[in-house]
Amino acid sequence: MAGRPPFKTADLMKKLMAEYYAKGSEAREKGVPVVWVTAVFPVEIIYAAGLFPYYPENFGALAAARKVADKLSAHAEARGYFFDLCGYARCGLGDAYAQDHPVGKIERPDILFCCNTQCGSLPKWFQTAGRFYNAPFFLLDSPMIETTPTTLGREYFVEQLKEMIDFIEVRTGRPFDMDRLAEVMSLSAEACRLWNEILDTAALRPAPFGFFDACFHMAPIVTWRGTREAVSYYRALKKELEERAARKIYPVPGERYKIYWDHIPVWPKLRWFADYFAERGALVAASQYTHSWAWKFDTTRPLESLAENYTEAFVNRGFDQRVQMKINFINKYGMDGFVLFSNRSCKPNSFGLYDKRNVISQRTGLPGVVIEGDMSDLRFFYEDQVRARLDVFFDQLEKGGGTGNQ
Amino acid sequence: MSLPTTPVNGKVEQILARLERVLEDPAGYVRQVKSDRRVKVIGWLLTDVPEELIHAAGALPFGITGGREGFSWADAHLQTWACSLARSCLGLGLQGKLNFLDGLVIPHTCDTTRNLGGIWKHVRPLPMMENYLLPRQVDRPSAKAYLTGELGRLKAKLEQCTRSGITAGKLQESISLYNLNRSLMRRLFARHVRDPETLGNRAIYNIIKSSMCMPKEEHNRLLIDLEQALSEGPRNTVENRHVRVALSGKVWEPPEIMDILDRGGAVVVADDLATGHRYIDADVSETGDPLDALAQRQLNRMPCGCFESGRRDRRRFLVDMVRKSGSAGIVFIHLKYCEPENFDYPDMKSACDSAGIPSVRVETELGNVSLGQLETRLQAFLEMIGGGD
Repeated sequence: MAGRPPFKTADLMKKLMAEYYAKGSEAREKGVPVVWVTAVFPVEIIYAAGLFPYYPENFGALAAARKVADKLSAHAEARGYFFDLCGYARCGLGDAYAQDHPVGKIERPDILFCCNTQCGSLPKWFQTAGRFYNAPFFLLDSPMIETTPTTLGREYFVEQLKEMIDFIEVRTGRPFDMDRLAEVMSLSAEACRLWNEILDTAALRPAPFGFFDACFHMAPIVTWRGTREAVSYYRALKKELEERAARKIYPVPGERYKIYWDHIPVWPKLRWFADYFAERGALVAASQYTHSWAWKFDTTRPLESLAENYTEAFVNRGFDQRVQMKINFINKYGMDGFVLFSNRSCKPNSFGLYDKRNVISQRTGLPGVVIEGDMSDLRFFYEDQVRARLDVFFDQLEKGGGTGNQ
Repeated sequence: MSLPTTPVNGKVEQILARLERVLEDPAGYVRQVKSDRRVKVIGWLLTDVPEELIHAAGALPFGITGGREGFSWADAHLQTWACSLARSCLGLGLQGKLNFLDGLVIPHTCDTTRNLGGIWKHVRPLPMMENYLLPRQVDRPSAKAYLTGELGRLKAKLEQCTRSGITAGKLQESISLYNLNRSLMRRLFARHVRDPETLGNRAIYNIIKSSMCMPKEEHNRLLIDLEQALSEGPRNTVENRHVRVALSGKVWEPPEIMDILDRGGAVVVADDLATGHRYIDADVSETGDPLDALAQRQLNRMPCGCFESGRRDRRRFLVDMVRKSGSAGIVFIHLKYCEPENFDYPDMKSACDSAGIPSVRVETELGNVSLGQLETRLQAFLEMIGGGD
């Protein structure tokens, strides 16, 4: 990793994100409602309604990456929030109570919208925040899809989208513009398409881009999805990647292995992990996490299409489907092994991993490992233990793979 | 069992001892019922599973409320930071103690229940395993339409499993049977509140918990007999000097918590526990479409951390519950790692503080709890709010 020229688009990203936060303050000044939304949420409706979407999870990730999650969490813990709650939630609630704001102040919401496709922690966090800020909370409920999507589930979600649009119309006093929604959805889908083409370059051998790069470049696909800015950002990034590939600039020069990572990174240890893998000639090539934003919309049936995309996300699927999705990534990118992250902050992505590790190894013949930790809180991260597990994993990789024996 | 301090006649003791025995090994008891009656048994996990549907399909619903050991069986499949209730239930399954089940229904009320079914099905499949995909918002019209559809889906799965059609008539009958059971338990609870010496906290909550695993026909007969025996028994003339407390949480685990309250001279007069009033509160309407009635009951249940309702604020509900029941304070019994409770707790506590309601929170687990510490904390709390001699 050392000596790799930095991405030119990194500057563009900094500018874009600064602009995003400035837009939040601007919205407030102009009386445009600032609304909280979750990462896997039909934000297209929010943009189409002319509201400003704010992503508290992004705040959590930022605090975690800057290694101040424990400081912010301490403020929440002092108020009685337990340290085993979702780390992002503790950062967000902690910052609300804090006097000092090491990563800027979390934006106060006028309304909180939450979709529980991802988990049950987000609704609890948003509910709690809604009480703190005295702002209304709207839950888009997405029951799990155990095998194949059902009409019942889809219709329930579509009904709720209609309820949400009514709710917004009442709050804004403006009729909702379905044409504008189609426009926003097209922009969103275009950004997703570009983002996924970028992620796909990790399949090249050697690859110009990997998971840790994706973690850096993902902020706009989350926050700016549905705008022209996101589209032009990922156009620029894609172009730069083509140049870098031509100039043979690789995250892991002399790449020997491709590794599948599941799911979110350990934000405060991003560099530690990147170095660990790079030193061993291993590119962490892909993760379901960064692939979450891969929406393909049909704007002729906008609400149904939003419902399908946002309820059918991997985290809302049953055990077998999720295993198959991971195996699909492993096959698509030609992975040599896989790392599953048992994340204290995220039960939906962690529970089941012990068995999934065995199933995936059996079906693919590849070595895999489960590591324990937390996406934001280093109190749950034992470096020696993680390193020891990864070392064993790499021994297996060197031997040319295993078949599911730990 | 904590023996009531006032002597009661043999019949009462007999019935209470019988329920106590059932609860010592619910799975063993149900296995016996199954072999005696050749009935299919469908297990369910806490909370809110519509047992009436299972019963109407001709099967015996069996509420799995966890055990005291076997946690290590679950460790290879479920992280130790899942709640002990989930780990215990999965542990029972992995030990083979639930092999007699013909099916299992897991309600989706939190991230743990949402993921448990997939793991369970993978490691110890049962002939029928269904998730009950409850709506998690209960206020808006969409929830009602969806839930009615989901109940219909579950009904069809149960019919397939038992190969027996659930007619509206059968379902009505089951609903009536369950309503009777709930009303009997509510009546006994009211008697317990009126006269805490007759049953005691452990016994009244044993009655509720045993209802989850016994055939309702039999449970009803026992409760009717119990009422009869209680009215025939000697009247308690001792002045009621118990300190009235309310409980909040998911389950009253470990069960000794009730003995501690009994010893401390407390009478539990209200609760929002899944193994308490959440189970016995509110009947299902016996008129109109029965699936619709089941949905209606679900959406109007008392608030809890697992469901979003702006209509029914949980803080206000708890404060009202304490006031209406005349409790001197509230004990939060929280399972370690229960995220819905842990998110709600600080605001519930401050609502109690603002309302001048003393509260204490105890964090418990199934199986692994220091009872001495628990007793010390609860005793101190009871003394503070005016009891505990």
